[in-house]
Amino acid sequence: MKKIFIPITLVTIALFSNSCSNDYIDVAPTESITEADLLTVYNNNDGAKSFVTAIYSKSLDWNMSSFSWNGLSSMTSDDADKGSDPGDSGADKDKCDALTLDATSLSVQDVFEANYQGISRVNIALLYLPKLDKADAALKTRLVGEAKFLRALMYFNLVRCYGGVPIVDHVPVPSSAADTDMTLTKKTKEEVYAFIQTDLLAAIDALPEKSGYAVSDLGRATKGAAHALLAKVYLYQKNWQGVKDQTAAITGYNLVPNYATIWREAGEDSVESIFEIRGYGGNPSQGIEGYMVSQGARGTSGWGWGFNTPTAGLANSYEVGDLRRDATIVFAGETMWDGRIVSPLVANPRYNEKAYVSNTAETFNGDWETTKNIRVLRYAEVLLMQAEAANESGTGDVTGPLNKVRNRAGLANTTATGQVGLRDAIRAERRHELAFEHDRWFDLVRSGQAKAAMAADGKTFVEGKHEVFPLPQKFITQADGKSIQNPGYN
Amino acid sequence: MRNFIFSFLALILLPAYMSGQVIKGKVLDKNGIGIPGAMIFATDSKTSADTDFDGNFNINAKEGEMLKISMVGFDALSVSATSSPMSIIMKESKDTELKEVVVIGYGTRKKSDNTGSISQLSASDITKSKVLNATQAIQGKAAGVQVIGTDTPGSSPSLIIRGIGTFGADRTPLYVVDGIPTKNITNINSNDIASFDVLKDASSLAIYGNQAANGVVIITTKKGKGDKVTVEYDGFNGVRTPLKTVKMAGSNHFAYYSDVAEQNTRFSTNQKYNTNWFDEITRLGTYSSNNLSLSGASEKINYLFSLNYYDEKGILNGLDYNRFTFRNNNDYKLSDKLKITQTLSASVSKSSPKPLSAFTSAYKQSPLVPVKYPNGRWGMPIIGADGQAATSGALFNNVGNPVAQLEYFNEEQKNLLLQGSLGLEYKIFEALKFTSRVGLEYNTWKKFAYTPSRNLWLAADPTRDAANYSSSDPINELVTARSDYFNWNFDNFLTYNKKFADIHDVELTVGMSAQEFGSKEELDVKGRNVPENSNYWSLNQSSALSNNVVTNHKIGNRKNLIGYFARFQYTLMEKYLFTGTIRRDGSSQFSSDNKWGNFPSFGLGWVVSKEDFLKDSKAINFLKLRGGWGRLGNQNVPINQQTFSSGSGYAYDFGGSLYSGTTIGSFIDPTLGWEITEETSAGLDFKTIENKLSGSLDWYNKKTTNVILNVTPALTVGTGATPAHAGEITNKGYEVALRWDDNINENLKYWVGANYSNNKNEVSNVYNPLAIKQTGGGIGNGQYTKQLAEGQPIGSFYLFEVAGYDANGNFTYYDKDGLITSAPAETDRKFFGSSLPTYYYGVNLGFEYKNIDFSVDTYGVGGNKVYNGKKAQRFGNENIEAGIATDFWTSTNTTAANPAPFNNVPISSNYYLESGAFFRVNNITLGYTIPKLSSSATSLRIYASAINPFISQKFSGYSPELNNDGDPMGMQGIELDAYLTLSSFIIGANIKF
Repeated sequence: MKKIFIPITLVTIALFSNSCSNDYIDVAPTESITEADLLTVYNNNDGAKSFVTAIYSKSLDWNMSSFSWNGLSSMTSDDADKGSDPGDSGADKDKCDALTLDATSLSVQDVFEANYQGISRVNIALLYLPKLDKADAALKTRLVGEAKFLRALMYFNLVRCYGGVPIVDHVPVPSSAADTDMTLTKKTKEEVYAFIQTDLLAAIDALPEKSGYAVSDLGRATKGAAHALLAKVYLYQKNWQGVKDQTAAITGYNLVPNYATIWREAGEDSVESIFEIRGYGGNPSQGIEGYMVSQGARGTSGWGWGFNTPTAGLANSYEVGDLRRDATIVFAGETMWDGRIVSPLVANPRYNEKAYVSNTAETFNGDWETTKNIRVLRYAEVLLMQAEAANESGTGDVTGPLNKVRNRAGLANTTATGQVGLRDAIRAERRHELAFEHDRWFDLVRSGQAKAAMAADGKTFVEGKHEVFPLPQKFITQADGKSIQNPGYN
Repeated sequence: MRNFIFSFLALILLPAYMSGQVIKGKVLDKNGIGIPGAMIFATDSKTSADTDFDGNFNINAKEGEMLKISMVGFDALSVSATSSPMSIIMKESKDTELKEVVVIGYGTRKKSDNTGSISQLSASDITKSKVLNATQAIQGKAAGVQVIGTDTPGSSPSLIIRGIGTFGADRTPLYVVDGIPTKNITNINSNDIASFDVLKDASSLAIYGNQAANGVVIITTKKGKGDKVTVEYDGFNGVRTPLKTVKMAGSNHFAYYSDVAEQNTRFSTNQKYNTNWFDEITRLGTYSSNNLSLSGASEKINYLFSLNYYDEKGILNGLDYNRFTFRNNNDYKLSDKLKITQTLSASVSKSSPKPLSAFTSAYKQSPLVPVKYPNGRWGMPIIGADGQAATSGALFNNVGNPVAQLEYFNEEQKNLLLQGSLGLEYKIFEALKFTSRVGLEYNTWKKFAYTPSRNLWLAADPTRDAANYSSSDPINELVTARSDYFNWNFDNFLTYNKKFADIHDVELTVGMSAQEFGSKEELDVKGRNVPENSNYWSLNQSSALSNNVVTNHKIGNRKNLIGYFARFQYTLMEKYLFTGTIRRDGSSQFSSDNKWGNFPSFGLGWVVSKEDFLKDSKAINFLKLRGGWGRLGNQNVPINQQTFSSGSGYAYDFGGSLYSGTTIGSFIDPTLGWEITEETSAGLDFKTIENKLSGSLDWYNKKTTNVILNVTPALTVGTGATPAHAGEITNKGYEVALRWDDNINENLKYWVGANYSNNKNEVSNVYNPLAIKQTGGGIGNGQYTKQLAEGQPIGSFYLFEVAGYDANGNFTYYDKDGLITSAPAETDRKFFGSSLPTYYYGVNLGFEYKNIDFSVDTYGVGGNKVYNGKKAQRFGNENIEAGIATDFWTSTNTTAANPAPFNNVPISSNYYLESGAFFRVNNITLGYTIPKLSSSATSLRIYASAINPFISQKFSGYSPELNNDGDPMGMQGIELDAYLTLSSFIIGANIKF
């Protein structure tokens, strides 16, 4: 009997003793790395990089760059219709198309939430990077620059969509009233733009040129990208001198000869490319969720859901001989560049070719996450910004950069003259060069063409309301009076 | 008389008085069957012994010495010891209460001495229901215990004891099976259960400390008994059909409706096909169970072996489930002082799950689509220029082909759960017993999921040709996943039980319990292009080995718990009862400042019927008043340590290679502790009319003061939901249970039982600003249906209120001021009640006439609402119910029950909300017993049961009993992707040898 009792008694006594029972319920986690182990796991170059990698990764998410973003940045405009079957609303894409979005619309919430999720990752990276004292100091400086560039890009999309929004510039402490106010109180549009500019100026200082990166770092934010984004930010504020200064600082880029290759896999990281969101079609695939399939042709011979389709208005607006028309639009019944035959029986007459990925001629690993990169900034837009700034300010070369873009598209030099004529020419050029690159709606709004363009597209643009989308109802509810809804949205 | 005979014998054998010797004997009841566990005490020698399983005892005593023999349920007696083997017959106590014993934490208690509220169900209550999971069998049979059933093969019903007191933390009660704590009993063969005790009130539960807040169910499995080997076989076969179906529109009605919705004539109203999708995806369900057990006992050992095979073919095509269980329970009496108990249970289950969303697809897919076209290709929602189903053209809705969906969803799951325990009981001296118990649990699970990608690609477009399938795409994909874990627990306690001066009965229990929930390790591997035959589903058979990739490897967090407890139970003159417990618990889930908590309770009782003024009452045979208070905890929350999120979900490509990312997905609250529930309760038990009518009344008031909820920070914070203390929930209610038992004559006895439970659940306070207005019950098209709010029950539906129709037949709604609007604002939503019932009840009756037995069990709920989620989940051109197709708004029918046809996502409104009340006959059983079938078989009973034969419900959908994810703030009470309630008919036989 004693044989049994001795071990039982010993174990029981051990478990009864206070220090041992405290040890017993002190369990080291295995599922994920604890914050307490920050310095033992992440205090090195790879660890430092990983905090910034997670920010880039956010841009691949469904709610960030895909369906809802197309809803707000594209289907709203005169370039794109909802597409798909008439009976399929795509949650609220019919409302995007008809400009009847309200505060509870999913697209409105998705884009808002996704960008703040990305901003949270920036702030988390900025919180931890300084603590990693064993990571290379120069590397950390660059990583901070990358993080700030990405934060600026996200705030730029927020301010373009919603106008003034809360500026969350650090990780909020839940118990801090000041931090709660920070997250719930919207700032003015001007304050947001000022914040973006501060981030971009810091990024310009910290980032190397594209040529300063190793091949294995291809795809990271560069000094050129920061200049280009800052130029665009100034463009939206009509700061023409700012546009000129920033575009002038962009070096080492040029147009690729063939427009049609820009959005193909072969055109990734080209000499024209300034910043891209990078889909990875390897194994495991890590691509932009649903970007390709949601915009693929629908029905017979199709490969997708058929949303975000080019309008007849866009298709008919190209000049004769403009190579960009066929490179931008998949027409029902056509044979595509990779040999795919598109049946005339597909659900819609036109589809967005810039979202297309060939499953025969390109890296393809399933249609949900593929190799597709979104071209966020490219040199053609820099040229068009230069032309616009020169034309609007009345000084500088307007037609030079404009014609470079036209010539590459197979068109002769512009025949437009005078500030007004050139303004129209530049606007038309932007529409055709950058169609389906998530800019058309914002271009219409910033240039004041929206009302007329919408009327031509059969929709009603209410001035004083439709310049921005509603803030998500969920945020308004959470703000509990600290932020008010944008005008015109109940 | 018997005493006299014994005394006489003692006198004859007087000479042997002189010295101590081993006295042998047997204690029997009036039928001559041995009474195990009776206590023998030799008054002079001061020795004692228990009878074994057959009533035999050996005691060191002198001849002629007085032996005191006592046993619960029998009148104590004294006899003189004799040298020849003694035969002692005990008389059953008149007070039948004495026989009834309930199982309490770390012990048992005479029911009449118990101060808490415990519902006890016997083996026959459980086995009669023919269920896989015993929890389902107690539905409608115990007051205060709500079971939300589910007929999905292999699934577990929800068990709610005295209302839900939590949102975020775990909602399931703790099950203690032969001393092993566990959260699920799907592995337990219902035929093995000897008793099922539900501990309901805090004074009973507090001994389980921080695992007790949702209640505790103590399951005791059977043990071998008797002096011969008993072999028992029980088996049944049954068929299962849906209890209720929904009539859908035919293809011509669908075409007309959709044309009106589109204001078009795209669909011809003279359709070629008229597919009944529900019929196409369902079949006659069948199930069977075969149970074989062998048990018995000898002087030193008792044993039980049981085998069970349960097999079910679900009503959804291809959905199969089977389970094999084995059990071995042995007790070894090594000496008078030492007993070893051992249990071992193995459960092997195999299932081929199918997506329940096929029910929703079948509801929504248009009947004009054929299952297959004449050319053998799968039908798709394509409409031709002639308005008929076509093989090419645009898709008119987003619903897949439900038959193809089931055909191409191929998954196999296998699970092995081993549970075993080893216990030791040692009698240190007469009044003091030491118990030590180790329980072990090992689970391993495997999944094989085969996706025929090329066939799916072909099915999506009938014009596709396999020759055009991209060579870079997989022909098929195989995901194989596995996980395992090992849990153990170790309990040690001392029980001191002594009666002083014949009136002070004292029992003291002191002990500790340690428990470890081991890490759950998961591994998922994916590959492509394996042979189609399921016997070759391994990644070595892949023809594209380079595509084999590990998609998940995770080692879950371990969880350790430790608790110390003490309980003092005192009975004065069998009239005045007191119980006090205290438990101190530690959990590894919380940060160091919040690891420990104390959980006290007390209970009081007064057996009024033992008082002089009622002692001789004929009207009242038994009356006990009882009440108590206790504090309980719930520690089942995610580990409270700030961690980083990393891995492939945060990865990004630089320069053509993928790099992993790190961030924080959600910030945790370091002050998080466990939920604390306090309950005050009172009740009474009575028996009257010659013990024929018995019953209980119970009242309770339960409050959880620091409820944990996953709160989502503001959208602009950008991080995910995190558990935090958010508010208070109260549950107040009362329970009535009555039972009438009577014998008309020797051949006919009958009984009627009824129970009624009323519970008022309320979120009485929400103090965390982030928890305010938390929504839930999203139905997959951007619409939510539920919201958390102070003053409302959990799971409250929060919807727009339909006012009527506008000039086009579209719904109008009331705004918050009661005005009518077509475009209501978010603030116009209203509360419409909860998915949780406010009351539920059961009536059970039966009779036994000669060899015939008959019983009926019924169950009902009320006060709850259900949301018709499958009907509300519209995008455009889905099918509608027949009732809608024939009664919708038109300019000439402006008072129709349904709005004009529409093709957009409908906002959440009370149009889709219906009463969830129902009353159902759960079981009707008729049995016939042939007592002496042959010389070897001792009895044969054949029986037939109708399970769920009738229901009375208001809900227009399939079933108002909608457990779904079991989350009242989630999908509970919403009919979407839900398995149906089934009606089953079985015949079976039970034979004993």
